[in-house]
Amino acid sequence: MHSIPHRLLGGLLLGALVAPTCAQDLLVRASRIVIAPGTTLTDSALLVRDGKVAYVGDEIPTEARAGARTVDYGEATVSPGFVLAATTLQSDSDLAEGAFAFTPDLRVAEAFDPWSERLEHLAPSCVTSFGMTPSPRNVAGGIGVLAKPGKERGRVLEADAFVGFSLTSAARSQEREPTSLMGARAMLSDAFETARVGVEVGPDLAVLQQVMSGARRAMVYADSYAEINAALALGQRFNFAPVLIGARDAHKVMARLAERGAGVVLPTLTATARLAELELPSKLAEAGIAFCFAGRPDQLRTSAALAVRHGLPREAAMAALTRTPATLLGQQAAVGALRQGCSADFVVVQGDLLDLGARHVATWVDGARACGADPEAPNPEERR
Amino acid sequence: MIRPLLACTLSLALASTAASQQDVTAFTNATVLPGGAPAMREATMIVAGGKVVALGSADAVEIPVGAVVVDCAGKTITPGLIDASFMTSVTADDANEQSDEVTPHLRILDSLDPEDPMMRRARRGGVTTVHVMPGTQNVIGGLGCVVKTHGSDPDQMVVKQDATMRIVMGSEPSNRNRAIRGGRIESMYYRRPTTRMGVVWAVRRAFFDAQEAMQKTQGAPDQGPPSPGIEVLTQVLQGKMTAVTTARSEQDLRTALRIADEFGYQTVIDEAQDAYMVADELAERKATVMLGAPSATDVGGGGGRDGAAPRSGTVRALADKGVKFVITTGTNTRRLPLVREAMFAARNGLGPQQALDAITIEPAKLLGVDDRIGSLAKGKDADFVIWSNDPLDPAAVAESVHIDGKPVSQLR
Repeated sequence: MHSIPHRLLGGLLLGALVAPTCAQDLLVRASRIVIAPGTTLTDSALLVRDGKVAYVGDEIPTEARAGARTVDYGEATVSPGFVLAATTLQSDSDLAEGAFAFTPDLRVAEAFDPWSERLEHLAPSCVTSFGMTPSPRNVAGGIGVLAKPGKERGRVLEADAFVGFSLTSAARSQEREPTSLMGARAMLSDAFETARVGVEVGPDLAVLQQVMSGARRAMVYADSYAEINAALALGQRFNFAPVLIGARDAHKVMARLAERGAGVVLPTLTATARLAELELPSKLAEAGIAFCFAGRPDQLRTSAALAVRHGLPREAAMAALTRTPATLLGQQAAVGALRQGCSADFVVVQGDLLDLGARHVATWVDGARACGADPEAPNPEERR
Repeated sequence: MIRPLLACTLSLALASTAASQQDVTAFTNATVLPGGAPAMREATMIVAGGKVVALGSADAVEIPVGAVVVDCAGKTITPGLIDASFMTSVTADDANEQSDEVTPHLRILDSLDPEDPMMRRARRGGVTTVHVMPGTQNVIGGLGCVVKTHGSDPDQMVVKQDATMRIVMGSEPSNRNRAIRGGRIESMYYRRPTTRMGVVWAVRRAFFDAQEAMQKTQGAPDQGPPSPGIEVLTQVLQGKMTAVTTARSEQDLRTALRIADEFGYQTVIDEAQDAYMVADELAERKATVMLGAPSATDVGGGGGRDGAAPRSGTVRALADKGVKFVITTGTNTRRLPLVREAMFAARNGLGPQQALDAITIEPAKLLGVDDRIGSLAKGKDADFVIWSNDPLDPAAVAESVHIDGKPVSQLR
């Protein structure tokens, strides 16, 4: 009696969560393959099996090489796809439960639309995975996901990636509690305190208990000094290291960010931004604070290039697009590099990624081409 | 010609003191107005380790070997000024938690930015410590804190974290609230109070609840801690926390005193533009007044609707009746810099020392921080201002401002 529903459920889960698998292995060749920032192979190859990197360079067994379909990108560079650490994909209204500001047990996974048109812009912008946060309109918005775009549809890779909080002005509404920053801070500290002393607590406070025990990461939208200060103070009192999203005033609290082990997810950098904003990435790097670029997906390369122009080492800029956001989301074993076992998420560029004149050739997600050219494709249209 | 040269020498000398706090600096030949005591001519003050280590006449104070000597001939040194009711740049939205009228446990400290431009401006005007309170749109807004005006982290700037609890009388707390008429029944602003009477009702109910909670806890001590709001109200009732009641017009001043009598707590009256009308009552109850911007001829901003009629003679009237008072800039949009407010008070019949005490030692005493700041004496924090001449002279400027011995603002 029970076997049918189980099988049904299994089928559904497979459909929803498992990547489109490639029956045949794929051998990706290029003149430069960046495994991770600082590790580059020349005239080398990657062997992709079941959507993951199975072997790299010389490690590829001859028999596997022989049986694989080969895609040769010639003079181009293959590097890890970007990890966009925090985005709401502009669907805020679906990601904030408007009536209450404290909803830590809501799940973003339930609002994720794999067919959303907004996913289509990600792969052309080199984004191969992204942290989808609850809207910053709620003080404790819910549980965020790690998701991926695809050629046709996206998917959730990790439905339980982190808890999203917000102390920004967006979380303070004059129509419901809290209306002020001190109210928002009191709301969170009261809730954490209740969770700390409580034995039998509801699902919402249980989420906070997991944050305190280190079982869940806390991503906190915070911009101004007072908001960042509140996030750090809460982290210190309740034993967690927040990842700050936005952090406009981070330059005022560098020492404390480093001391508390906090991470920073930066917004889009524009050429017309204030010098303090443009220099923030290099200062964060100097202070040893983990940070990554986020904001508009189509501006990620621009943001990194601007930061490089204002003193950030190129390698650090690459890390801030790939490995660091993966680490901040706790997913460094799955995404953010082209090491063995990681998802085969990569971008192909004619030249240097941080050179804005370099042409984007293709983006592959889970070993399948999500956009751009495949030089070996049977259909000539797809080869360009 | 001489002035820039002097300033240059001074800043060079001060820059060297900043290098190490342990460096000893001697400020010589100054007129020192130490706060709470008469002026000292040609005095020497020795500062080391962020504290005043000696202050007295040139004969009485020996300058340690190796000390940096700053000649302050012609200058006046006062303690850093203390503004007991200071408005920061925190917006009204963030200074008032509007989801409830009574939020006694919320801390304005949580909203402060050390690089607040208002703090910087105050610092340049010689103000080294401020008392910041939550806004005036709640009946009981929350906890005020005493902070120095320079630092990189509010926690390190704090002189006293939970210094006072603010209560607000008058029409401001009821401004947003609406009955169904003109409002939406589902709005959280559909609530009491919408009138002055309602404001008093809300204060009374809060203290009544706190009294009830106290009685219950006495009967059964194992009931666990009360809610954080009740805890703060209880501290006020027990005299462990200073209540500050913001009241401007005569009727609100009387109400503030009446409610305090009713529940048996002592309250400081803030703003108090109409205090001259109730000076006898204030004196009788030994209530301290934090007079907001005595120079202003009317009340600007949100408090203007309450019909208070400020008079330039209020300071003198309070002094004559023996009412304790301090001078603040307060919430009035017509305020002048703090030192100018004291100048104005002196011009309206207050003795110069009394005027200066009202912005130094008196607010320190009122806020319970006079063991550290508010006056210059051995062992006190080295928070002081070197003025170009007598600070109550309208042409006086703060040439350099020091907090914990470090120069934090210098005239260029």
